[in-house]
Amino acid sequence: MTRKAWAGRRGRSQAATRAGMVVPAVMIYVGLLVVPVGYAVYYSLTDYNGFPSQTPEFTGLDNYREVFSSTDITAAMVVTGIVAAAGAALVNVAALGLALLLRQTNRFNTFGRIVMFYPHVLSALVVGFLWQALLGPQGVVNAMMEKAGASSLPFLSDETWALWTMIFVIAWALFGVQLVIYLAGLQTISPDLVEAARIDGAGRWQVFRAVTWPSLAPTVTVAIITSCLSLLKTYDVVVSLTGGGPAGSTKTLAYNILAVSFPERRVGLASAQAVVLVVAAAVLAFTVLALRRRAEEGAESVG
Amino acid sequence: MSILRRRTALAAGASLLLPLALAGCGDNSAGGDAKKVRMLVNLTDNLNQAYWEKLVSPFEKSTGIDVQIEGPTGKSVAETFPQQLAAGTAPDVIQSIYPDANTAPELLDLSDLDWVDGTPMVDTYSLDGKRYVVGVGSQAQSLVFYNKTAFDKAGIDKTPTTWKEFTDALGRLDDAGYTPMQTAGQYMTGLQLQQLFHPALNTSHPKWQTAVTKEELNIGDAYQPMFQHYADWLKAGYFAKDDVGLDPSTADGNFVAGKVGVYPNGSWFLASLDAAGKLPFEVGVFSPPVDDGQSYPGPQGATMADPYMIWEGSGNVDGAKQLVKYLATDKTAIETQLRADGIFRQGTDLEQSPLATEVQAIVDKAPELVSVGEGAGDNRLPVTGFNPKFTEIVQSLYTSRTPEQAARAIDQWVSENR
Repeated sequence: MTRKAWAGRRGRSQAATRAGMVVPAVMIYVGLLVVPVGYAVYYSLTDYNGFPSQTPEFTGLDNYREVFSSTDITAAMVVTGIVAAAGAALVNVAALGLALLLRQTNRFNTFGRIVMFYPHVLSALVVGFLWQALLGPQGVVNAMMEKAGASSLPFLSDETWALWTMIFVIAWALFGVQLVIYLAGLQTISPDLVEAARIDGAGRWQVFRAVTWPSLAPTVTVAIITSCLSLLKTYDVVVSLTGGGPAGSTKTLAYNILAVSFPERRVGLASAQAVVLVVAAAVLAFTVLALRRRAEEGAESVG
Repeated sequence: MSILRRRTALAAGASLLLPLALAGCGDNSAGGDAKKVRMLVNLTDNLNQAYWEKLVSPFEKSTGIDVQIEGPTGKSVAETFPQQLAAGTAPDVIQSIYPDANTAPELLDLSDLDWVDGTPMVDTYSLDGKRYVVGVGSQAQSLVFYNKTAFDKAGIDKTPTTWKEFTDALGRLDDAGYTPMQTAGQYMTGLQLQQLFHPALNTSHPKWQTAVTKEELNIGDAYQPMFQHYADWLKAGYFAKDDVGLDPSTADGNFVAGKVGVYPNGSWFLASLDAAGKLPFEVGVFSPPVDDGQSYPGPQGATMADPYMIWEGSGNVDGAKQLVKYLATDKTAIETQLRADGIFRQGTDLEQSPLATEVQAIVDKAPELVSVGEGAGDNRLPVTGFNPKFTEIVQSLYTSRTPEQAARAIDQWVSENR
């Protein structure tokens, strides 16, 4: 056999090996990502009740027109936006603050990390029911306030209070993951840099501003994006804490898709809302990435 | 790292779409097993797996057919059945939901079966004259449970029959130190208002759902008088503004604890009262008031209880028919179901509690049993999702809207979704 033929056979063998490793991953990617997205986009252009007896009827962009003209759906979009923005701010500030407090490794901090991560282990539904029992009109907190002679607070019975209560509960359940992300990020900061800053006379705040914060830039980006995406999909806590009420004031877009449009068997409309949500998630993620690029470049120069 | 994050973002977002895609996949063929019938049922505290297995046990022994009881895989049977249809794994028999224009093509028409004649409310739920569902009894929707001891202390010597008398009774209960009326959050807020208003509404607008469909009536105009009553009672403090955030089971508990004067609810509340054991006060029940000049009692809101349907694609239609016939006509099966969930059926001589006897009397005296909420059978609103939306709007009476604004909001929703 010639040298050229050997090289050809070896090349084909290597290509087959590479294909053998890549194809399963591609199949999983296509099956779990491309196909669902494709179906959702297709259904979003149809009138379909999800039953085998009905053939999806092509209706063009009607479902998208309804998404942006329906009072209910646009209200749910606004609530989702508030939950994502305020929730992400709350989660990240709380997680970063606690990570700075718990960054040193000792027994107390290890215990503290476990306690702070614990809410995330609970199912979101359980979290909602738990806080319902605590903050409901006859819940533990209001009962204690009344015993102390104070008037009760409308945590779940006033539209504005209920929305902010829900954001607080979601942040409580979510921030454990962000805490771990920030703790991991803090471990990557070189102690030499911190020490050098201190030798130069920098105080705690100056060390944080000039060294810690710039070095954490990539971590902050990941933490913001992951928390925003989780918050955009808020559903379970709505179901168990408020049921979307009072008066629809805590209905998120994901809740509207799963608890309103699907039970009404409006698969086309539900799909259109889901597509809008995915596009919004992508736009948000890429916007955060773009806005954070300069900060991340700064981090590289610090590192 | 940026590419990785972009992919993560896309993957996380796309996970929202997975259930949508799965809804469209699936083989709809049914494998038949003549000796097995799968039944999808609603599982609750009292209607649990053990209850259902005990209910079908005599049937299994007499026919040799194994009945496989299945609970919902999602939140409810209403959510699970369409998912199973799409996946090609629908059960043979479906309990607890009713047919509509979407589900009817998937269901077996039971009109030709002789034993279906005379089953409770069968024609109320028929679609285009076809009977897709049979039930065991009916549940009374429009009941006002009341604390007789509280009424005595407040000096109320007869139950109210008009809105004026009802409002007067609430005032007296308030003066006597009771919470005059108990309302609750979640689905209960809208349900209770509807329960109270069924008799008056169906007297002034018979088959009001059909009238709305034919554009002869606006829901807002029909309900605005009741919204006004609620706004007035709320302003007077006859029920708490905070009730809108109250869990319905806590509301049940408040009535059982004896703090409350009146509590609008359905006949299923009898089961909760039985479970509470001996109470330190006497409970009574009456039909809701009507408008001045209307005859009392008005039509009683009712729903078919324990509805059973058969999937047309079932691999064991004969076994499924036998099972549904047994559940809807066998004396032992009927009595077991009536006892379990506060259900009523004319012509049964079931021994029941004094309060259940009072409810039976209300049902018997009602001039008509009428469909509630979105409607039933051919008497339907032109929209789906009425009950949750209605609840949302009633809740807004507690938080922000005037009766006029609430009436216009429901009309706007109907016009957007008609």
